[in-house]
Amino acid sequence: MFALTTLIAVSFSIGSFRIGETEKPFLYAVLLWIILVFSALSGLSRSFVKEREAGTIDVLRLSARPQAVFLGKLFFNLTLLLALESIIVPLFILLMEYKIESFGFFAAMIISGGFGLAAGTTVVAAMIAQASARGALFSALSFPLLLPLMITGIKGCERAAIGVGVTGWPEVKISLAYVIIMITMSLLLFPLVWEE
Amino acid sequence: MSRVFVFDFATPKFRLTSRTQGIWLNLTWLYGINIHVMYSLRVTNVSKHYSATPLLQNISFQLQTGEALAVAGWNGSGKSTLLRIIAGLVKPSAGKVQIFFDNEPISKERKRKLIGMVAPSLAIYEELTALENLEFFCRVRGIPHNREKCLDLMERVGLCEQANKMCRNYSSGMIQRLKLAQALLHNPPLLLLDEPGCNLDSKGMKVVERIILDQRSFGMTVIASNEEREVEYADRVINLSK
Amino acid sequence: MICKILLITWMAVVIVAAFFYAGPATGFPGETSRIVFFHVPQAWVATFSFLLSMVGSLLYLTKRNPGADYLAQSAAELGFVFCLLATITGSIFARATWGSFWNWDPRETSIVILLMIYGAYFALRSAVPDEERKRVFGAVYSILAFATVPFLVFVVPRITASLHPENTMSPAKPAMDPETLVVFLGSLLAYTGLYLWILQIKIRISKIESFKKPNIGQR
Repeated sequence: MFALTTLIAVSFSIGSFRIGETEKPFLYAVLLWIILVFSALSGLSRSFVKEREAGTIDVLRLSARPQAVFLGKLFFNLTLLLALESIIVPLFILLMEYKIESFGFFAAMIISGGFGLAAGTTVVAAMIAQASARGALFSALSFPLLLPLMITGIKGCERAAIGVGVTGWPEVKISLAYVIIMITMSLLLFPLVWEE
Repeated sequence: MSRVFVFDFATPKFRLTSRTQGIWLNLTWLYGINIHVMYSLRVTNVSKHYSATPLLQNISFQLQTGEALAVAGWNGSGKSTLLRIIAGLVKPSAGKVQIFFDNEPISKERKRKLIGMVAPSLAIYEELTALENLEFFCRVRGIPHNREKCLDLMERVGLCEQANKMCRNYSSGMIQRLKLAQALLHNPPLLLLDEPGCNLDSKGMKVVERIILDQRSFGMTVIASNEEREVEYADRVINLSK
Repeated sequence: MICKILLITWMAVVIVAAFFYAGPATGFPGETSRIVFFHVPQAWVATFSFLLSMVGSLLYLTKRNPGADYLAQSAAELGFVFCLLATITGSIFARATWGSFWNWDPRETSIVILLMIYGAYFALRSAVPDEERKRVFGAVYSILAFATVPFLVFVVPRITASLHPENTMSPAKPAMDPETLVVFLGSLLAYTGLYLWILQIKIRISKIESFKKPNIGQR
């Protein structure tokens, strides 16, 4: 919902003709990633808070292995994000008349970015479920962790739109490395966060 | 591997020790006798403070398979906290809780398989049906989940007709019954019941009574309650209000 | 006590020397190059401090020893302060040399991210009521944040070219004349000494505070 609202606000106020043709690829990439990251931040904070509010968090603690809980939440967040992206990105392209040269690279960038967003935020979501002032804290904690991914994503989308130097998909590789490192670290650290 | 069989022919009872649970089952099948797996719970000097206020101080007790213990005390005396400490949901400020199998302490990872708990603070998923809840927890625990077994359990707690109803539409008594079923899913040797009778009618209380009796045949029970009736199910009582 | 007096004298000498002994470096407008005696040691101390904080966090997670957490927290706080100082002095210098307080050069970008990470770290610690949870969460978060650092190194320099004068961070191959180098190294030493002194006091304060509130740290 947040994503849609921002998308409409952005496309309404900027339109597709106010930005000069040469700056389009870069500015559009920035806008798209701002929309993606902030809608992820507003949506994913709920994943563990929900369990806590429903009172099911302790039942899960008693019955499930921490790694299983982590992976479950990770995949849930991932499906949520991919669903979100599958709505937002086509709409964004349509509304803003976003011209993309290398479509495969662009899609890979968006999808691997979605993996990265989910991987970077899941442990943080588990932590804030046990803290006060949850919503604001989640953004404050996640944003620095997501920043490298966001910068990579912007760069990658810009490159895909221009269509220069796309061989080997350099940014996709970086973001996949990010995903792998974050998931490994999270698997190691999550049990510490999860168990009393 | 050492297996020590101690047959005591003088008394009709016999006790035997073994490291693997499989042997037990075979013997049970061979002799047609109900043999207990000897689990025991040992709580040593457990204390708990919140900031500077002490809640529990130096609680120690031991529990053997086949026994039931009641924890009584006023509201706020720390009954629930003690149960949560035993379950491993809360870390004690001092002291330790161990479960032994044949005098061998059990690792944290395996403990999870041995404990079933019912408490007001433990909820079930309201957006699933009762049956889906049970199947979900089967899957989470890694038990092969068959519908039969879940339905059996529902029968035991008297929820058979409403198995496919959304839990959101359940009454509080029915939810309590479902929580009992959830705790019994993996036949835990250690059953922790925090206010097992809350929201239950007299039929429901019968269910609880039945569960505690059944539990005696193969495991331990700790009941936290103030209800006279529930305390009576136990062999021993620890009173936390002094 | 003697150490402290020595340290203070040393600092005073360094400050005086920074303005009167070492000459201004060529290639910078006016006297601006003197910032190197303050800005670089601050940045160095901040980096060192964050590294110490990481070590403290790791130690805490493995040993669960509150002392390690005092180190992690105190080092993070001091690192934050020195990082802020370095940012401020740096941006004054930036204004004087490059014409604007902020240029988003790679070092500036990474310092902002560092400040954000540690700001978030303090926010997290203050939002968790339970003492032990707070320590675990702080440690987990700082390790998680540290894991993203290689990506920053990888990603950030691609955006813009650095404006920072080269070699200032590596005194091993100095472009400085001997007098400047001596003062610079002296200042580095002074700042490190000062930092260690404050750190020790901070750790002691944390310990005393934990004694004041008994049982805290065990929930």
